[in-house]
Parts: sequence; C-alpha cells; structure tokens
Amino acid sequence: MYAIETENISRVYKVYRKPEGLINSVRGFWKRDHYDKIALKPTSLKLEAGQIIGLVGSNGAGKTTLIKVLSGLITPSSGTAQVLGYTPWERDNAYLRQMSLLLGQKNQLWWDISPVDSFALLARIYDLDLFAARKRVMELAQKLQCEKVLETQLRRLSLGERMKMEIIGALLHEPKVLFLDEPTIGLDIIAQENIRDFLLSYVASRGPTILLTSHYMDDIAQLSKHLLLISQGEIVYQGNVQEFTGKAEQVKTLVVHYRTELAQDYSTPQGAVLKSGQREHRLQVKSQDLAETLTFITQLAEVHDLKIEETDFEDVVKKFLEKESRILSPGHRNASRIQT
Amino acid sequence: MFLWFAIFSTRSAGGDQNINGMGMNSYLAYALWAAFFARISANWAYEFRMSDEIESGSINSLLTKPMSFFEYYLFQLLGHKAVTTFFSLMIPLALSMALPWPMNLSRIPLAIILVFYYLVLVHLIAMCVTTTGFFINRTGSITVAKNLILWLLTGELVPLDIVPSPWKEYLLVLPFSSGVYYPVAYITGRIGHREMLTGFLSVTAGIIVVGSFMVFYWRQGLRKYVGTGA
Repeated sequence: MYAIETENISRVYKVYRKPEGLINSVRGFWKRDHYDKIALKPTSLKLEAGQIIGLVGSNGAGKTTLIKVLSGLITPSSGTAQVLGYTPWERDNAYLRQMSLLLGQKNQLWWDISPVDSFALLARIYDLDLFAARKRVMELAQKLQCEKVLETQLRRLSLGERMKMEIIGALLHEPKVLFLDEPTIGLDIIAQENIRDFLLSYVASRGPTILLTSHYMDDIAQLSKHLLLISQGEIVYQGNVQEFTGKAEQVKTLVVHYRTELAQDYSTPQGAVLKSGQREHRLQVKSQDLAETLTFITQLAEVHDLKIEETDFEDVVKKFLEKESRILSPGHRNASRIQT
Repeated sequence: MFLWFAIFSTRSAGGDQNINGMGMNSYLAYALWAAFFARISANWAYEFRMSDEIESGSINSLLTKPMSFFEYYLFQLLGHKAVTTFFSLMIPLALSMALPWPMNLSRIPLAIILVFYYLVLVHLIAMCVTTTGFFINRTGSITVAKNLILWLLTGELVPLDIVPSPWKEYLLVLPFSSGVYYPVAYITGRIGHREMLTGFLSVTAGIIVVGSFMVFYWRQGLRKYVGTGA
C-alpha cells in the first residue's frame, strides 16, 4: 500500500511584480503586473509506507511547496493526491490526527510557555489520554536527551533544544506520516547527529512514513532509503539512494604530491592539466579513466604522496542537479533522465 | 462626561433640563458605562494577532492540527474578556453606587451576557478582516477603519436614541448597537426587557449573516493561501 500517491499535482503562484518607488506603489492599486511562477510542475508519485524518503533540491526547486501540498497547508493548482487515503487540502480532522508537519524554520510550539505546557495543550488538541501523553513525552525526551529543559520556557532554549522539543511535539500523537522540512537547519554537528540517530531508531521501532527535506546531504544519505530529486519544480529522479549513487556518474578526486615542482605543463589523456611550478595537483577523474591517469601522472616526476578521494553523496547530488538544471533550461525540454 | 456637563449647563440657562426626556445624570451614567462596555466589546488586539498569524505564516502550525482557528481565538478572546470584565466592572460599579446616577444593579448580568454574545459577532467580523490577509499583505488599516465605523454604530459616542430619525431606527435595528447602546441603556433605565430582546435577535441575525459569509470567505482564502514564510 502507498502512503502517499499523487497524480499530476502542480502549484502555480501568481506573483505581483512591483517596480521601485512610491508612484509605482500607488499605481499598484488599479494596475498590477503579475506573472505566474511555477513552483511545482505536474508531479506523480507513489511512495510506500514505513520508510524515510529524502527530498532534495536546490533553493526554490519546489521541495517545500510539495510538502505544503501533501500536508494540506496549500491547495494545488491542479491534480489529485491521497495521503493515507485522504485528500490533504480538505484538512479532514481524521487526516490531521495522523500526520505531522515540522518546519525547521518555524516554531510549531508556543513561544511563551514551557514545552510541557505546549505538549499538554497538544494532547488536548489531539484528544490524547493525558497520562499516556506525559509518559510519551518523557520517553521521547529521554531518547533525545533533553529531559532537563522540558519545563523551561521555549523562548529561553537554544536552537538545538528547541528543535528537539519541536520533534517531541510533532511525534506526540504518533503520526503515521511525518513531513520534516529542514529539521536540522542551523544545528551543530553533534545536535544533527543526535537527531539523525533518534529518527533512525524511531522509524525502526514505530514505522511511520517520513518525507524529509534537508540541505545537509548527510541527513539524506544516512536516513533515507528512497530519494526524490527535484529541480525547477520537477521530480528529476526517484528511486533508491544506493542505486542513485551507483547510476550517477562516478568521479574520484586524485591528489598527487611530487617531490619536486613540475618543469612544464602536462595534459592527461583525458585533458586535465597539471601546471608547472607546483608540487600538489588535484584532478577530477572518472572511475573508468583512473588506471590510465595513474599510469600517466606517476611517470611525470617522483611521487611523494598519492591519494584517491571518493566523491561523497553531496557532490554526486550537486553534479546531478547542476546537470538537470541545464537540461531543464529552455530549449532542452526533451532531454533524457535517469529513471528507475 | 465633561461634554455632557457643558451641554446641560448651557441648557439649564434656557430652562429645559432634559434632552430626549433624560436628565444630566442619565447621560453621565451612560457615558461612564459606555466607556466600560466599549472596551469589553472591542477585540482589535486579538484581530491584530490573528492577522499577524496569516501575515507571518505562523498560522501554518494551526492549520495542520485538528483544530479550528475560529474557535482557538474565540475562546482566548472570551477568556480574556471574562477576566477583564470582572476587574474593570469594579470602577463603573463603584462610581455609580457613590453618585446619584441612575443604575439598575440587577440588570448588569443580562447586559454582560448580551455583550458576550455580541463578541461572537465581533469575532466573526474579525475573522473576515483576518481572512483578507490571504489576499493582501497587510490588513491593519482595514481593522482601524472597521473600528472607526463600529465606534459610530455601537453608541459609544452618543446614546443612539438621540440620533434623529430615520437614522436612529436604522442604528437600533443593526446588531452593533448591542455592543454598547443596548446594554448601557438597559442598565441606566433608558430601555426595558423588550428592547433587549431586539438586541439579542439582531445579534443572532448578524451572526448568521456574517458567519455564513465568513465560512465562504475563509474557504476561498485557504485556496489562495501560499503558506507564507515556510
């Protein structure tokens, strides 16, 4: 069974173009220049339940718009969608009780009261048993190692502590579908790691479906099994994370350090240039060209040190999105994509 | 109050000490209680908060929960007004008891009930103003303009029964007179039970009309909403 199914959902924003100056502001009362911004092109998805799905794309690619549509926050311009069998934007209470939306850049809890008070309020909103809700808060707080700040006013907590509180709030009613938009944004590495570990163990034990967006590729690489890549409002890849890294062009970084500086410029058989007058050189080499390049560069001078660096997930995604961005630009509409 | 003092001191020189059949004490009592009820029946502070929820996008967290934005703010408003009423009632009550101004103590509960019922209508109007935030960036100026209109229509400025006909009849049949005029006039003895019933009926009609529009308008607004700030 699919937890999330969409059929050609799209979202177009009508954007007001306002030229500079007071006169143009006044003119805007009777004459407005609008243009259509396509945030999400017709998108069809079928996402299975019980997994973490990583949604990756650059700024303005349409990630948050897709999450807003699926969580029912906004209505799509066209298409249909079913999340847990409900149409999200109808905001049926039965659906809202089974989902949670966590926007990393927005507080979902109440700013002026302590998290425990917010959780008590949430327990009433979701019609939860108060005793069971308190127990669950403690259980989640222990896992996230934040029991000590439960009774401190939210506004007095650090960003990392606040995010942990937001996560507890989002999970209090045990949602079957969870939309996480940048849950680790602005957090230090330890806090990020802590939240990642927590989410992994939570999914393993409770099995919700999580749609996760993050600018930190480590989040996606470590947490997600399924990957959605979005570029300019269009899903350009959907499939397994491992398959993606396997299918995408594999490039390694070759770092060579000679004992002496090169006497002249050299060009590898693939066209990369090693400049004269320097000892250390970094070359981007495709996997299939690695042996040939190695043979070539080790003959140029005496090698002091040699390293082959793996290209990480972030680089692979970045390269892929850069390529897609070029393909999706006007005049390249019929270019082929990676499909699974 | 000073205005009524000035008016009556001028009139007393001419002989007739009543305006529309009521003496100076009645008008002074009206001015005092009108100030009290006008503050109880106003909700602009909550309206600004509600508008800010939409303008800033903080409404996102409420829209994705199984709750009603209307009820969420209505009960905050009523709770706040209950506490405010309890404490601020002491002032006009003490002054009215100390001074020889007309006041019927037993009528206060029904007058307060009418004002709290009227608050539901005021909240519905606030919801309509707030919903406009889905279509335009800022709604603060609409709130200010609306407050000015209500100030004229509720009877906070002058007792509506001294307004010339036919405006008086129009104003008294509108539900806004239940915010200040009807409760104050009831307490100070200008009107009886029958007129109070008119107040309840007109507020009910107002709730039905504004409520129906609000439901339609809110749905349209949500279709337009772009999830600001997320």
